[in-house]
This record gives sequence, C-alpha cells and structure tokens, in this order.
Amino acid sequence: MKLGLKLTLFNTISKLVIVVLFVLLLPVLIRDINRNYTDNWLRKQQEKVLKQVRQQGIHSFIQNGEGYGSYNALLKEEYVSLDVDSAGDNVDTIINERRLVAGDTIQYRILSHNFTVGKQTYLLEIGRSIDTINETATPLQNIAFELLLGMVLLTILADQVYSTYVLRPLGQIIKTKLIGHKFPRPTPYRKVRTTTSDFEYLDISIHKMIQTIEGTFQKEREFISNASHELMTPISILQTKIENMFGSEEITDEVKVRLLEMQRILNRLKSITKTLLLISQIENDQFLKEDTISVNELVHEVYDEISIRLQEKNINLTIDIPADWKLVKVNKFLLFNLFFNLINNAIKYNKKGGGISITGTAENKQYIIDVADTGIGIDAEQLPHIFNRFKKFSKSLQQDSFGLGLPIVKSIADFHSVKIEVHSEPDKGSTFRLILPSELIEKQS
Amino acid sequence: MNILIVEDEKALTAEMELFLAGNNYLCEICYNGTTASEKIATNLYDFILIDLGLPDYDGLDLLKEAKKYNPEAACIILTARAEVNDRIKGLDLGADDYLPKPFSLLELQSRMQAITRRKFGLKNSTVTLGEFVVDLTNRAISHNGTVISSITKKEFDLIAYMLLHKNRTLTRSQLSEHIWGSVVNDDYDSNYIDAHIKNIRKKLNTHGSADWLETVRGLGYRINLNA
Repeated sequence: MKLGLKLTLFNTISKLVIVVLFVLLLPVLIRDINRNYTDNWLRKQQEKVLKQVRQQGIHSFIQNGEGYGSYNALLKEEYVSLDVDSAGDNVDTIINERRLVAGDTIQYRILSHNFTVGKQTYLLEIGRSIDTINETATPLQNIAFELLLGMVLLTILADQVYSTYVLRPLGQIIKTKLIGHKFPRPTPYRKVRTTTSDFEYLDISIHKMIQTIEGTFQKEREFISNASHELMTPISILQTKIENMFGSEEITDEVKVRLLEMQRILNRLKSITKTLLLISQIENDQFLKEDTISVNELVHEVYDEISIRLQEKNINLTIDIPADWKLVKVNKFLLFNLFFNLINNAIKYNKKGGGISITGTAENKQYIIDVADTGIGIDAEQLPHIFNRFKKFSKSLQQDSFGLGLPIVKSIADFHSVKIEVHSEPDKGSTFRLILPSELIEKQS
Repeated sequence: MNILIVEDEKALTAEMELFLAGNNYLCEICYNGTTASEKIATNLYDFILIDLGLPDYDGLDLLKEAKKYNPEAACIILTARAEVNDRIKGLDLGADDYLPKPFSLLELQSRMQAITRRKFGLKNSTVTLGEFVVDLTNRAISHNGTVISSITKKEFDLIAYMLLHKNRTLTRSQLSEHIWGSVVNDDYDSNYIDAHIKNIRKKLNTHGSADWLETVRGLGYRINLNA
C-alpha cells in the first residue's frame, strides 16, 4: 500500500471514530447541561417568587388557606404552586416527578422549597416539563453529527492534498533515482526539489550510494578493459612465435603437433580475452548506434556464417521474419554477434536432427524476435543465472566453450535497450525472446 | 616491397620481420614514434604498419605524417588499444586497413596482399590449380571454363587463403581465424573447418580431381602448387 493512501486511510478512520464517539456521548452531555441549566433557572424563579412574597406579603397569594397555582394553560410546560405546608419538615429539593395538571399527567422537574412566614410554613413548587427540557437534544445531536462529518471530510480532503504535496519528492526519488536508474550507466546528479529535510537526506544518501556503486562498476570495467588490453600484446607475441615456428622447414611433424596444441590453448586464451574486451567496450559505451539494416537480412547473414554448424548436427533452421521491417540506430556488428551467439547456443544445446525456428512479429509498437530450439532446455533453478559470466551448465556437453556466449548476448541487448525473456522446459527446448523497443524498429514503406 | 614497421614491442617486431622477410619483403623497424617520423619523412615505403599504442607518439599523428610524406604507401594500423573509435578515426585518416592485436601473421600477409591487389592492380589474378582455375579478382573457381557456382563465399575464402599461403600447412585455428575472425563467440577449437573442406572437396570432385588440396594428418590443410 502506498504511503499517501495509508496516511489518508488512517486519518479517515481515526477521525470517524472520534466523531462517532462524540456523537454517541452527546445525549448524556446534553442531558447534564440541560439539568444544570434547568436547576439554575428553577432557583432563579424561586428567588423571584420569594422576593414577590416578601414585597407583597403572603396574603396576596394565599387567602383563606387556599393555595396559589399558576401554569401555562395550553401547553402546561411550566407551573408554579404555593400552598400551606402541613408537614412542617424543611424541604429544599429538585427532583423529577409526575404531576396532574388540569387533567394531564406530565413528568416535571420540580423544585420544592418551604419557608416560614409568621408562624405558618408554606411550600413552594416550581416545575418545568421534562419534554420541554429534552426537546433540543435530538436536533442538537443531528446538527452536531452533520457538522462534524462535514468538518471531518474537509480535513481529510485537506490532509490528502497536503500529504500528496509533501510526499511528492519521495515519489520522485523512487521514480528517478531508484526505478529509473540504469546500471551501470553513470547518470548526473539532479537534486530532487523538496523542503522536507528527511527527503533531502534520503536523496543525498541514495545519490552517494549510487555513486559508490557506479564507482565500483567503473573500476571493474576499467580493470577488465585494461587487463584484457594488456593481455593482447603477450598473446600477440606468442601467437606470432608459434606461427613462425610452425611454418619453419626444420621442425618435425611431431613437434608441429605439439605446437598445434599450444596454438589451441592460446586460442582459448585469446577467445576469452577478446570476449571480455568486447563486453567491457560495450559497457563503456564505445560503440556507435548509427546503422540501419533489415531484420531479415541480418538474420540471414548470421545464417550464412553459421550454416556449417547446422549441417554438422543436421539441424533444421526456419526463418520467418517479414522482409519489410528494419532496425534503425543500431550497431550492426554488435547485433550480428548477438544473433550469432543466440543461434550458436541454440545449435550447441540442440539434439541431433533437432530444429530451430526464428520468428519476427510486430506487436504493440514493439518488435518481437523469438529464437526457439528443440534442445535440452534449461532447469528452472538455473534459469536466473544463465547470463552470468563464466557460468557453465551442461557439463556433459562435448563442445568446448567457456560460458560467455549468453553474457555477450545480454550486454549487447542491454546496450540497445532490448529486453530478453527466456522460457525453457528441460528436454523440450528453450525460447529466447528479444523485445525490441519501438525506437529501434521501422516499417519500410 | 619495402615495409616500415612501427611497433614498440621488440619480441613482436622480431617475429613480424622474420615472417615478412621470409615472404620477400624488405623490413625496417622503428621502436618509437620519433625515429619513425624521421624515416617517414625521408624514405619511401610500400607499406607502413603502425602500432597506435606508442610510448612517445600518437599513432594517429604518425598516420597523418605518413599520408603526407608517403602518399603512395599503404598504411595498416595494428593495435591492442580498446577504443573502438580509434578504428573509425584511423580509417577516416586514410589507413588502408586495421588489424586488431592479437593477429595472425598469415592474416597480416593476406590483408597486405588484398591491399596490393586493390591499390596496385595485380596483373596475374588467376591461378591454375590442377584442372581448376581460381580467379581472385572475381572471386570464382571454374573448371573447363564453367564457373562452379555451388562454391559459397566462405568456401572460396578458404581456398583463396590457402592459395595465398600455398605449400604451407595451415592449422584449423588459422583458417577459423581468417573466416570467423570478426565474430566474437565463446567457442574455441571448433571442427567446422573440417566440414567446410569436406564440402569443398565434394563440390570440386564432381568436376574433376582436387588432389592439390591435401589433408596434413593431425596438423591441418595445405594447397600444393608447384610453380
């Protein structure tokens, strides 16, 4: 899951949980607030009544022992009653109780308070209907819920926008520095624009790491290049010495056979050195990509070079490549070597009387060339290592080779941004698929 | 023919001189660019073989001088230098050929011969081999005036190479290097030369006897031609 999505999801869930909790608690809170408010109100009313009693005298309310009562006639939301208290205890409470008012039983919050005027004790009751008190609770809850939901959505949106903005450098670092980086090609450092110091640090650290890796690559390439170059001169001297001795009249055939063995061993050294030099030259970008050649022609040129090897093993090779596709901005020498090694491999690991088919198809702007053989195949666990240098698999093979054929193929393919896919089944054969990008291919008009 | 060899590796120049002198070339040797530069300015040569990796001189500069003072000479660049661009630069500056080290002396002679044919126009470009006639200019082999068209380009290359080095046993590796030298692959010691020779014999034997093409047991092949 992406970091941005994770943050948004966490924000949404945490905020929703808080809002739901708050809305669920709201009735309890409202009831509490209402009760306090009502109780205060009742006390104020009590003071008002007592003040009036003091000013006007109890007799203006109670005459001939008959109690005073007042209520809102229609809705009966509130009432006041003043009566002689016969019980005589001190009463000063606020409780919820039912009262019968003008034929209706209604739940009230009632303040009861008794006081003494002269020798007589009176009881004052002020009540407020519970329904009236609670009627605001539900709409309040609804409004609170809607309002909060709206606010939560707004903050989530804001979070989303901000996290996208603030995380953008991270995405750029991943895209340009990690995914987009093509080893071992050195790339110039371009700072990722950010004000977040963590990302700056990450960017610089990754860059330093890449520099170290590139440096190591560079050293390896230089080493291979210098080593193979330095080896060329001594090999040259040995080769010419052997050739001159071999051509000399005074040497017996017996010695010549031994010279031949030396020449073969020297050839092996020469082949390895030349191959390593080629790979290092490719990796050092020393080849130009300026040639144009028809795919069909190129494969047929390779066929002409290699047909003797097919004949030797009685292998049937079919080429099915439309003549109207050509490769552009490529290095012909390198691609020739790519196909040579690929087909040579297909021959080497084939069975006597087997087959090789080379097909070319245009697909979604790309061009795909399959080289399929009916050979011994490659085990699944060996498949990831076949492009490694000096890796040899079938030890039973008669042919002398040192395991650099596929590494040549790989480095030439990489140099041209050609992708290679390999499918193989032991004892059935292997298919090497070259996927050529649209920049390399053009249809002839 | 006069040849100037400019090469700082003494052991290599010794072998080159031995081989070329044996093939009737007159060789002069320079181990550094400065003396080579003097020689180029004063003497005339048919061939100048230049190693690009000289300790005191840029081989490409030497090539420019050679083109200036010895415009008739054919220049061949010999190098172990890795830079691919050198090859292009060298050929742009007028080098006639480019032979990367390590090279076979037979290959060097073959290149020199090809340049001679191209540059000076060899008079006698047909060679009679028993009942067959090899035309080196048109690259064809014929029997009683009819060209044997089934002989492929590679097969003709082999015949021509052995013919150039006639009466000399050529090993399979020398022949392989000549016809597959530009291919880089991971095989060594291949027997495909045998298959090629078998094919050549089969094709020629339908027309006449090709007993001039000899298999030297355990060593290689040879074309026998008594001058």
